[in-house]
Amino acid sequence: MGSSSKKKKEKQKDFQKAKLKVGKTKAKPDNFTDTSFKAKSITLTQQSLTLTAPTTTTQFTHHVSLLGSKSDAQRRDSLAHLTTHLTNSRPTAGGSLPQPVSTLLPTLSPLILDGNTGVRTQLLKLLRALPPRDVEDHVAQLLPFIRAGMTHLAAEIRVTAVEVLAWLVEIAGREVVGCAGGWIKTLNCFLSVLGWHTEESSKWSASRAAFGKSGSAGRPMVKVLGVLAEFLEAGIGAGEEGEGEDVVMEEGVGAAGAAVGNWEFPLAQVEAHMLPETAQPYVYLNLFGQPRDEEGEMYETREDRFRVFAARFLKAVERGVESARQDGGEVGRASSAVSKVLKEALGYARGAGLEV
Amino acid sequence: MVKRKLGALEKVEADLPNLQHKIRRDPKSYIEDFRAQHYQYESHREIFMAAPSSATDTGIISLRELIDFIAHVADCYPEITKDFPQQLMDILSQHHLILQAELREKIVGSLVLLRKKELLDSATLLQTLFPILISTPSKTLRALLFQKILMDLRSSNAKSTNHKLNRTMQTVLYNLVTSDRTSSKGLWAIKLTRELWKRQIWTDAKAVEVMKEASLATNEKVIVGGIRFFLGGDKEREEMEDESSDEEAIDMGRVKHIIGINKKTKKKARAVEKARATVKRRERKKNQPHPLNFSALHLLHDPQGYAESLFSKHLQSTKSKLNLDQKLLVLQLVTRLVGLHKLHIMHLYSYFQKYLTPRQPSVTSFLASLAQASHDLVPPDDLEPLVQKIANEFVSEASAAEVASAGLNAIREICARQPLAMNETLLQDLVMYRKSKDKGVVMAARGLLSLFRELNPEWLKRRDRGKEASMGLRSGEKKEKRFAEQAAGGIEGIELLEQWKEEERRKKRAEKGLPSDAEDDEEEEEEDNWDAWNVEEDEDSDDSDGWIQVQSDAEIELSDSDDDDEDSKRPKKKAKSDEETAAESAAEATTEESQAQKELDQKLSLAATRILTPADLAKLQELRTEAAVNALAGVKGRQSASNRHHDDPLTAEEIEGLAALSAGKATREERIAHAKEGKTDRAEHKSVTAKRKEKKDAQGKSTTNKEKARKKNFLMTLGKAKSKNKRSLVQTRAVLKAHQERAKRGGRRGNTGN
Repeated sequence: MGSSSKKKKEKQKDFQKAKLKVGKTKAKPDNFTDTSFKAKSITLTQQSLTLTAPTTTTQFTHHVSLLGSKSDAQRRDSLAHLTTHLTNSRPTAGGSLPQPVSTLLPTLSPLILDGNTGVRTQLLKLLRALPPRDVEDHVAQLLPFIRAGMTHLAAEIRVTAVEVLAWLVEIAGREVVGCAGGWIKTLNCFLSVLGWHTEESSKWSASRAAFGKSGSAGRPMVKVLGVLAEFLEAGIGAGEEGEGEDVVMEEGVGAAGAAVGNWEFPLAQVEAHMLPETAQPYVYLNLFGQPRDEEGEMYETREDRFRVFAARFLKAVERGVESARQDGGEVGRASSAVSKVLKEALGYARGAGLEV
Repeated sequence: MVKRKLGALEKVEADLPNLQHKIRRDPKSYIEDFRAQHYQYESHREIFMAAPSSATDTGIISLRELIDFIAHVADCYPEITKDFPQQLMDILSQHHLILQAELREKIVGSLVLLRKKELLDSATLLQTLFPILISTPSKTLRALLFQKILMDLRSSNAKSTNHKLNRTMQTVLYNLVTSDRTSSKGLWAIKLTRELWKRQIWTDAKAVEVMKEASLATNEKVIVGGIRFFLGGDKEREEMEDESSDEEAIDMGRVKHIIGINKKTKKKARAVEKARATVKRRERKKNQPHPLNFSALHLLHDPQGYAESLFSKHLQSTKSKLNLDQKLLVLQLVTRLVGLHKLHIMHLYSYFQKYLTPRQPSVTSFLASLAQASHDLVPPDDLEPLVQKIANEFVSEASAAEVASAGLNAIREICARQPLAMNETLLQDLVMYRKSKDKGVVMAARGLLSLFRELNPEWLKRRDRGKEASMGLRSGEKKEKRFAEQAAGGIEGIELLEQWKEEERRKKRAEKGLPSDAEDDEEEEEEDNWDAWNVEEDEDSDDSDGWIQVQSDAEIELSDSDDDDEDSKRPKKKAKSDEETAAESAAEATTEESQAQKELDQKLSLAATRILTPADLAKLQELRTEAAVNALAGVKGRQSASNRHHDDPLTAEEIEGLAALSAGKATREERIAHAKEGKTDRAEHKSVTAKRKEKKDAQGKSTTNKEKARKKNFLMTLGKAKSKNKRSLVQTRAVLKAHQERAKRGGRRGNTGN
């Protein structure tokens, strides 16, 4: 049959030797695999050819620019580098910052919302290393990021944001509660983190932090309660009494007395006429910004703050604290700090004749 | 923005779409989460507003995603999100210049979404988007905004016309066009109006007013846009309507068949449901009365003033910066207005003087415009010098054939509208050109001749008049029309109806075996007419309003019956309404009269003698369309002057006419192309089998057993063939028997039983 003879021929073909020809390249075998490749980029093992090491300032700037890098490890390492640099060159240690805090903060603050845990921990360390006096003036820029972090979907970012807030309250409590939007909006965020907004959601049976992973269940709650206590203390607590907490016009009876005591007779209320101590003394006038609504307003005095607090948050907070106390355990203990601050504030309010 | 690579854990945690999905299902339980996300959005917005230009990448969730999220679930929490639309609008209108493209598009999209969810009203949305549309330098944003604005206007006019919104929008557009006549921003008004006009969403005088103002602007682009709308907008609208009406038909039977065979899924069930809804909608649409759509030229207030200002501003004025093409467009519009509304513009005809030379570029357009501008109320004194000039400049033995034929055609078109522009000697002179050697000129001259055979044969030489015209002259029927004389109006196509009736009557009589042209029983015919009336009514009641369906049984019986019980029908019908009987008696009276007069006056028309029943009117309409179709089929491709609607524009091509014939011999390709022009496309030649196979492929069917057998590999059949040879007689018998059995049963599976 025709087909079988054809098959025979084909079979024989396999065993025939390929002829070599002069001037032609050798034929490629059947099972030849093409292993040539093209590369889009070339990586050099040794990139820097300069012999002199860059100065510390250049290194610092370089690492600041690396904070926007795509790689997590790179960002973390740069933060670590900056941290060591800052701790070494503290004004107390005799050095000065290569770049002012005002230029550092815009690159640092988005990192509060960073997805990587390592980056955020490192960021916290870096923030702690910043000189507190410099940070005070930039609280208003930092707070929106902290608030965004506190309401973030990811629980770990929420915890970090609360920690950052704790640090900020610690170093610049008065500014935090007194800056534009710092009081009401931040309190709103607290209530949202704790889930205390409505009566229903503050019940123990309601699923707390229902969406997103809450991480280790009890711990964040304790931490948030602690920071809330600090925050309330800074805002409406009695701690700052007598420090002359006002920026502008407040005159407590005691403060006025002290002022009179400090200056000789014909001079009275001289502080009001002296050079202001803060960097932005007229910010409350809001000359260049958007018009503010009630939530975004500045509440600079304890009295103002308490009024707002009593009107909008007192009930929710009391209810929340109560249920936290009933939970008992670590959370219950943490809630006692908050209730203590509340009690003090209420006492102060009764003393000042405010309505509760 | 380059996204960071996300770890698996983060993906789960910061999953806004997941949250969105959960909120959709149970908004109440997730209110706390939503509130948190809303605060998150507020903070991000604050960050953004502090430095709108330097939008930093804020972690794993961006403002864009948050806006998207909140817009999608905003309807679940109207209390919390009541400021949200306003905030978006503020961001967009304040910062649209510096916003990132993606964020910008997301905000626009979210606003439209909020509009769909009724959290925002159309007027506010349009008031936000429109100013950005006309001010933004970004092309993509403009395209997006235009599309969204159009979509919103369409959707808010979908169910019923939203007059309030339309009025505000039209006012905005009007103000845009009129406020700054030098700027090209008016183009947006034109684009929008034209699009909406095309889709028949705006069909009122206000939209036309916007375009009118646009065409009187000083910016060339705006002017041309406005002019083009008047010249082509209505045609575009008609085409759009045709297109939408012949969308691909859905074969319900086929759809049902497919669902019967294929796997049943929810998706497919939905598709069937959708197809059914579409079919139903189309049915309903078919039954709806046709909407009144006046053309833009008819909706103009004060066409005289408009035409005059167009003429003086763009054509006469020396300051006008339009080039020749644009001027021609304006001239076309002006002359069309003049022809349509029978206007009179003082200097229009003297304006033409300058341009009527064969050397003038695109002179045929000028000629067409001139013809368009002439109507029977133009004083012949205005037109006569122009006709004379055309005759002198264009029509001579020395001039090229195309030129001469164009001139003759133009003269014919002018004279068709105003015959008095011609005089006897000139006409006789021009008619002589039908002896020319060139075919184009011959045709043009013949056209002029046949026109005047109709209009005024007296001016022609006796031997040129032709049989019909001469007879008409003798009987005194063809007379010269005096200036501004108006013919008495009638019903269009009534003679067709008359003819048809006559034929019907003949047929009926032939059926009955009577001589076809004998006098018939008028009474009986009348009866039939009323029957027709009733039948029509009955048909109506089947598919329209309910109140007709509540007829008593007797009446239905009456209307369904044909010729068998006329006697019983008559009194009942008379009882039905007094008016009808009165009308009937009147009709009878008139028909009796007409019977008497019939010998005297054959031409007394049907309309004067009879009341037309709805059946008659329907038939009339049918006959009219039939006649129109026949006329179109008779004249290949080209419209003749007689059957052109007087609203249709006259184009330069018509003036050029058969000039192509005079342009020397065409090449073979050209001739083939010319021959193919009128024919419809047909598929290439193929065998019937191939065509069938194609059809089957298109329908997605598989091969038949026969085909499979035919295509089977030869080697595979060999074995069976061999074994067939070796079969014993008994085996063969068994096989044949089985085959017979199978054939009876109808195949292996059989076609009985199921």
